[in-house]
Amino acid sequence: MKVITTIGVTKVYNPDKIPVRALNGVDLRIEQGEFTAIVGPSGSGKTTLLNVIGGLDRPTSGDVDIGGADIDAMSDNKLIDFRKQHIGFVFQAYNLIPVLTARENVEFVMLLQKRPKQERHDRAEELLRAVGLADKMDKRPSELSGGQQQRVAIARALAPKPDFILADEPTANLDSVSTANLLDIMARLNKEENITFVFSTHDQRVIDRARRVITLVDGKVASDEVRG
Amino acid sequence: MVVISAVVIGIWAAISLSGFATGMIKSYVNNAVQNIISHIQVHQPEFLEEYDVEYYLPDAPAVEQVIRSEPGVKAVSVRSLSSAMISSAKGARGVRIKGIVPEDEAQVNALNENVKEGEYLSAEGKNAILVSVDLAKKLNVKVRSKVVLTFQGLDGEITAAAFRIVGLFDTGNNPFDEAYVFVRREDLNRLLEPTDGHKYGVAPGALAHEIALMVDDVRSVDAVAARLREKLPGLDVETYRQLSPDLDLYEGQMTSISILYLTIILLALVFGIINTMLMAVLERIKELGMLMAIGMNKFRVFIMIVFETILLGLVAMPIGLLLGYLTISYVQSHGIDLSTYANALEDYGLSAVIYFEIEPVVYWQVAVGVFLTAILASIYPAWKAIKLRPVEALHKI
Ligand SMILES: Nc1ncnc2c1ncn2[C@@H]1O[C@H](COP(=O)(O)OP(=O)(O)O)[C@@H](O)[C@H]1O
Ligand SMILES: [Mg+2]
Repeated sequence: MKVITTIGVTKVYNPDKIPVRALNGVDLRIEQGEFTAIVGPSGSGKTTLLNVIGGLDRPTSGDVDIGGADIDAMSDNKLIDFRKQHIGFVFQAYNLIPVLTARENVEFVMLLQKRPKQERHDRAEELLRAVGLADKMDKRPSELSGGQQQRVAIARALAPKPDFILADEPTANLDSVSTANLLDIMARLNKEENITFVFSTHDQRVIDRARRVITLVDGKVASDEVRG
Repeated sequence: MVVISAVVIGIWAAISLSGFATGMIKSYVNNAVQNIISHIQVHQPEFLEEYDVEYYLPDAPAVEQVIRSEPGVKAVSVRSLSSAMISSAKGARGVRIKGIVPEDEAQVNALNENVKEGEYLSAEGKNAILVSVDLAKKLNVKVRSKVVLTFQGLDGEITAAAFRIVGLFDTGNNPFDEAYVFVRREDLNRLLEPTDGHKYGVAPGALAHEIALMVDDVRSVDAVAARLREKLPGLDVETYRQLSPDLDLYEGQMTSISILYLTIILLALVFGIINTMLMAVLERIKELGMLMAIGMNKFRVFIMIVFETILLGLVAMPIGLLLGYLTISYVQSHGIDLSTYANALEDYGLSAVIYFEIEPVVYWQVAVGVFLTAILASIYPAWKAIKLRPVEALHKI
C-alpha cells in the first residue's frame, strides 16, 4: 500500500521580498484508499499543501515522501514523469484543453505516457462511462456544464491509474446538484475501485461526505479527525 | 491573433517599403534617362572631359547615318553643345547650351512635354531659346524676354548673341534645370562655326558634339552599345549607366535596399513576435501549468510553443504576401502622389508621383525571412514557458 508522508513541511513564498508563510510545519500521513477533505478558510494553505504533497511544488523545508520516493532528490523533469505515474490532479477551473473533446482530453494524458491507441481508446471510454458521461464523449468542454467538465477532469486524472487523486476545490464553481453528483461519483469510485481522493473545500456539504477531515489554520494542521 | 496581424503587417510593410524603394530608384533612373541622359550617347572621347567645342564629332552626318540604321534604335538626336554665359538685366550665370533639332529631340526625350510655359522650340523665328522655370526665376526673365548668350566659337573668338525665350521647361531635376538651356542646333552652329567652315573639316551646319539615342528595349542597351562601338571606332559610345555612374549605383542598390528594409522589418518582427508570444504564454499560464501538472514535460511544452508560433506565421504569411502584392499592384498602376513634397523630391531628381515596383524575388526573400524569423522569435517565449513552475502557473489567475 502506498502512503504519502510529510514531516515538518514549511512553504514560504517570496522569501526575499515580503515572505508569506503558507505552510508552517505540517506533519501528515495519507494512505491509499482514503476519502479525505482538507478544509480551512481562504489563505490557510490548502492549495499549497495539495501542491506540495502532489509534487507540483517543493517545500521550503521538511520532507515529502510519496510512496517511498523522495521528491527532493528528483530533477524537475523526473518529477513530472513521477507525477504522471502516481498522482492525478483535478483543478478548480481551467482544467480541460478547450480544443479537444472529452474523450481526447482523457486520451491526451495516456498519449503523454505513450500508451497504445487501442488501450487509450478503451480506457477513455470506460472512464467516461464511470463518471456518467457515456453520451458526452465527443463534446468539447464549451459544450459541457461545469459539473460535466469536472467529471471529465476526474476521468482524465484517473486515466494513468495513479495512486492518489488530489483535487483542489473541485466543487467551488458548481451548483449544489452538480456538487452532489460529483461527490456521488467520487465516493463510488473510492468505494468500488479503492481510488484515493484528497480534496480541499470550504463547502460544508462536501466536508460532510469526507471520511477524514484535516483542518488547516494559518498553514498548520489545527485538527485531523477520522469519522465512522 | 496578435501574432498573425503582426506578421501580416510586417510582411506587408516589408513588401511595400521594398516596392517604394525600388519604385523611387526606378523613377529616378527613368527620369534621368527620359528627361536628360537618354539610353546611349556618342561623343568624341575627349569631349566629356573637357566639354570644349573643338572636340566635335568628325563627320557627324555619317555617324548619324550609322546609328539610325542600327536595328533596335528607336530615336536619335544630334546635338551641338557649348558652355556659355547667359545674362539678363538681373545678372549672369554659367550654363551649357544644347543645340538641338526640335523634332528629333522630342523623340529622344520628354523635353517638349516638360515645357510648362510658352512653347517648345519650333522651326520658325531666329535665335529662340528654352530655359528652365528655375533659371528664369534666377535671371528674373519671362517668356519672350531677351537673354544674351556669350561663348567661344570654334575659332576661339568670343561671340555674343541675343536669344528670345520661347518657353520655360521643368524636368523635375533641379540641378539639370539650372545648368542647361536649349536652342536650335542651326542657330548655335551658325554662331559656333567660323565663316570659313571647311578649314575645320566640318561642312556648314554639320557641327555636332553629341548624339543621343533611345533604344526600343532598355534591356538591349548594352548590346546596342556594343554593336555601335564596333561600327564607330574612335568614338565614345556610352550607356546611361556609364554616363551617370550614380544611376548604375542606384540600380545596383535596388536589391540591397530591399534586403536592408527586409532586415529592419524582420528585426522589428522578431521583437513583435517575441512580445506577443510572451503575452500569449502569460495569458495561457494556467493552461500550460495544467499541461505540466498532468505530465507534459518541458521539452514537449517547448516544442508546442515553437510549433504554434510557426503555424501562426504560416497562416499569416500568405495573407501578408497577398496584401503586399495587392498594394504593389495598385500603386504600380495608380501611383502615390507626393506633390506636397514635390520640391524636395525634385531637388533629387525624383518625380512627384511614385509608382511602386518590386523584383519578384523579394516575395521569396520575405517569405523565407519571415519563416526563419518566426522560428527564431518563438524560442524565447518557449524557453520562458518551460521555466514556469506549474504551481506558480496555476496560482496566477
Ligand atoms: N505563488 C505564491 N506567491 C506568493 N504567495 C502565495 C503564492 N501562493 C499562495 N500564496 C499565499 O500563501 C497563502 C496560502 O495560499 P493558498 O495555499 O492558496 O491558500 P488556500 O488555498 O487555502 O486559499 C496565502 O496567503 C496566499 O496569498
Ligand atoms: Mg486555494
